[in-house]
Amino acid sequence: MMEERKQAMKKYVIRRILSGILTIFIVFTLTFILIKSAPGDPIRTLLGQDNDDPVLQAALEEKWGLNKSLPEQYLAYLSNAVQGDLGTSIIYERSVNDMIGEKVGATVLLGLTSAILALIIGTTMGIIAARHEGSAYDLVTSGATYTMNSVPSFWLGLMLIILFSTKLGWLPSYGMTTARKNFEGWAYVADVMRHMVLPVMTLTLVTIPQYFRTAKSAVLQVMNEDFITTLRATGMDEKKIFYKYVFRNAILPTITIFGITMAYLITGVSLIEVVFSWPGMGRLVLTAITQRDYPTLQGIYLVMSVSIAVVMILVDIIYAIFDPRIRYD
Amino acid sequence: MTKIKKVFRTIAGDRQLLFGCLGLMILLLVILFQGVLETHDPYEYGSDSLVGLGVNGHLLGTNKLGQDIFSMLIAGVSTSLKVALISSMISAIIGILIGGAAGFLGGKVDLVLSELINVFMMIPTFFLELMIIALFGNSIVNVMIVIGLTSWASNAKLMRAQALSLRERTFVKSAVVMGESQPQILFNYIIPNGIFPVIANTTMGMSGAILTEASLSFLGLGDVNVISWGQMIYDGKSYITSAWWIATFAGLAIIFTVIIFYMLGDGLNHALNPKHVSGGKK
Amino acid sequence: MEHLLDVRDLSITYLNKSRNVQAVRHVNFTIDKGDSLGLVGESGSGKSTLAMGMLRILPQESIQMTGSALFMGKDLVTISDEEMNKLRWKEIAIVFQKAMNSLSPVHRIGTQIEDIYHVHEPKATKKEIHDRTMELLKLVNMPERVYKLYPHEMSGGMLQRVAIVISLLHNPKLLVFDEATTALDVVTQGQILEEVVQMEKTIEMTRIMITHDMSVVASSCKKVAVMYAGELVEIGLVRDVLKNPLHPYTQGLMSSFPSLTGEKKQLRAIPGFLPDLSDPPKGCAFASRCPHCTAQCMAQKPTLRDMPDGRRVACHLVGGNEA
Repeated sequence: MMEERKQAMKKYVIRRILSGILTIFIVFTLTFILIKSAPGDPIRTLLGQDNDDPVLQAALEEKWGLNKSLPEQYLAYLSNAVQGDLGTSIIYERSVNDMIGEKVGATVLLGLTSAILALIIGTTMGIIAARHEGSAYDLVTSGATYTMNSVPSFWLGLMLIILFSTKLGWLPSYGMTTARKNFEGWAYVADVMRHMVLPVMTLTLVTIPQYFRTAKSAVLQVMNEDFITTLRATGMDEKKIFYKYVFRNAILPTITIFGITMAYLITGVSLIEVVFSWPGMGRLVLTAITQRDYPTLQGIYLVMSVSIAVVMILVDIIYAIFDPRIRYD
Repeated sequence: MTKIKKVFRTIAGDRQLLFGCLGLMILLLVILFQGVLETHDPYEYGSDSLVGLGVNGHLLGTNKLGQDIFSMLIAGVSTSLKVALISSMISAIIGILIGGAAGFLGGKVDLVLSELINVFMMIPTFFLELMIIALFGNSIVNVMIVIGLTSWASNAKLMRAQALSLRERTFVKSAVVMGESQPQILFNYIIPNGIFPVIANTTMGMSGAILTEASLSFLGLGDVNVISWGQMIYDGKSYITSAWWIATFAGLAIIFTVIIFYMLGDGLNHALNPKHVSGGKK
Repeated sequence: MEHLLDVRDLSITYLNKSRNVQAVRHVNFTIDKGDSLGLVGESGSGKSTLAMGMLRILPQESIQMTGSALFMGKDLVTISDEEMNKLRWKEIAIVFQKAMNSLSPVHRIGTQIEDIYHVHEPKATKKEIHDRTMELLKLVNMPERVYKLYPHEMSGGMLQRVAIVISLLHNPKLLVFDEATTALDVVTQGQILEEVVQMEKTIEMTRIMITHDMSVVASSCKKVAVMYAGELVEIGLVRDVLKNPLHPYTQGLMSSFPSLTGEKKQLRAIPGFLPDLSDPPKGCAFASRCPHCTAQCMAQKPTLRDMPDGRRVACHLVGGNEA
């Protein structure tokens, strides 16, 4: 029996990965078509407004391979990307891999911290609210999260800056580290953490409502299931029923939601990075867009899609571990 | 007469639907009486730059160009509602067509369309929107179209699920047997009967559209010629320490409007589908 | 001789903002050790409410119970939750309908059995529990490997048997089968009922079988109690009641079931609907649907009366002596 299950699990994982690759490929192609079909190009940006020199333009196009046919450009980019090379930025003449590599850490730090905090805090709050449905705690938290769901993240960031930076002066509002002070070791860590407080708080606050709502409705639904009645009929301790049986069953939708929330989070992180001038990929995206820096744009989009795909596959696998019904899908 | 009574009773019976409808009425009234409510012409560049609350008849202050914040907020209502309505209409139509076709026709069509739906559900559509706006221009019309073109996936998924189950119903099967063409069945039976969850979802989508427009404007990709709350926050970003009122009230207006549409959507879900469990009471 | 279960004047009312529904009204019956009582009635007759109410599994805030249900010297209606928990599963157990829904889908059978066992025997070892379960599994003809499975990996029939096994873990004095075989196909139902009857030969069991299906009662019970609109209308030995039903409702029930053997009789459904239990009729509850209804029936409620063959019937037209 166990062997069968392990085999089914393997097949499931493989299927998921293949599906993920297919999706990434489609996104890749769509992005390519989209970028290439838009007006404007990086050569324009490089040349500047007034420069119309056709010779220079032709030379630049040759250099960057932009004079080749679209299918040729597509295949060239694809083959490079598959080998891990995301090309070179036309505007900065730097390797896109390097440019992204520098910034990605900051974004992941911000995003992942907020995601995990929101998951833990939101889910816990939701479970408690469900356990004590109708209580003051429930009403207050439900109302608060309902409102928080409607708050634009960037606005919240600005408000927090006004409160904690401007009025109270407790926390910095700009960047990841204090400029002109090169901290080392633990002092560096502390400095980064100080700068992280406001952006993480903002992002976490706007993400908590999703987890709260999911957890609360899942717990309420499970508590109404027949098997809970059966367990009660056996005289089992209410606490044990809740923490072992209700919890394990109710946690499933939360796992699913984690993957979906990731997509929203990536949007949120970029906006927050702009608000707090956090040196991450968010700002990179914006400049690449305005400058029509194709390789950088494609590269970032590819990295984003791959990350999301990976997260979703992991989420699906974790879900399959927790829900024994799924594997035979 | 009794049908209208029924509608009223349904609305009064559900708290969220009730408040949502009331809120919507307030918003519509604001748009209707826009001319009366605005204390100044919101587009007019006045002489009072960056003045605070209540100074010189400016209820909520002014921005750098002397525009009255309060009047701009009033003007913003119609922008937000317009964006919300049009983009979610586009999103709904696309979603219904794709989802309905996928669920009803099945087979290879379903395979391809489902994959498409999955792609759009997975990718962070915001960046897609960013790219399209940045590449194709940032007029308000573009913004509305772009949001509609990228947010249809959830509608499609709902419609597909409905179509899949409706397909098995007897009245649909008999229509097939009677020789009605597939487009006919799709438009006469499947869509009208399966549309309800999509309506509720679209209403919630309006909230999303307002937030997205605000986000786009905040990044400087909004339409500068149109007064929108997101634009105001973008504007107020640089003056966050000196003139906090520019950004603050615009954000509050967004929150208020978004909550109203969420309540409407949630309320509609309760009314149209009694088994739905929202974050509220059972 | 003391009865195992002595129910006296038990009434259960569902409390609701707009109206109260009297689901069980003044029910009286007794069960002795070794009895197998079939509790029959249509949907809404109150039979499930009766069982769940006695076991105190109904939500406390929304019901009101009056009367008494004496079990092993304790009144199930009034004892505290703590005392009730001591009785639960150890002395009274219940097998629910749709076993698929009565077990947690994400925990293995063995895990759930262990947890249930530990409620009353916290010091029991895994091996003890495993062995005990194996013993019981044999009684229902189930393989040992079931212990490690998840609920969705078993068929409906297998799950129902597992549910029976779980209910027998502590060797309870009273076992309640609440529509336990209703969700199964006829063949499986027949097999399980046979297994249950066989089991009685090896272990001592007193059971109540709640069902709407007379054939279940006929094939597995010694006594039968017929419920209608929250009241007991006829109770007696199966061989007496089924061969010769006295109460008009029981007669109606018997003629609405086709028989596999014997001559083909005309099937007759019982016309009409259950009365509104938030405003119960003053007279006999069945009066409006009874083909022999008289003025007395409409005006005065009949009480359970003893009949010469030992059964009790509540009907003005049947006579009998005061119970």
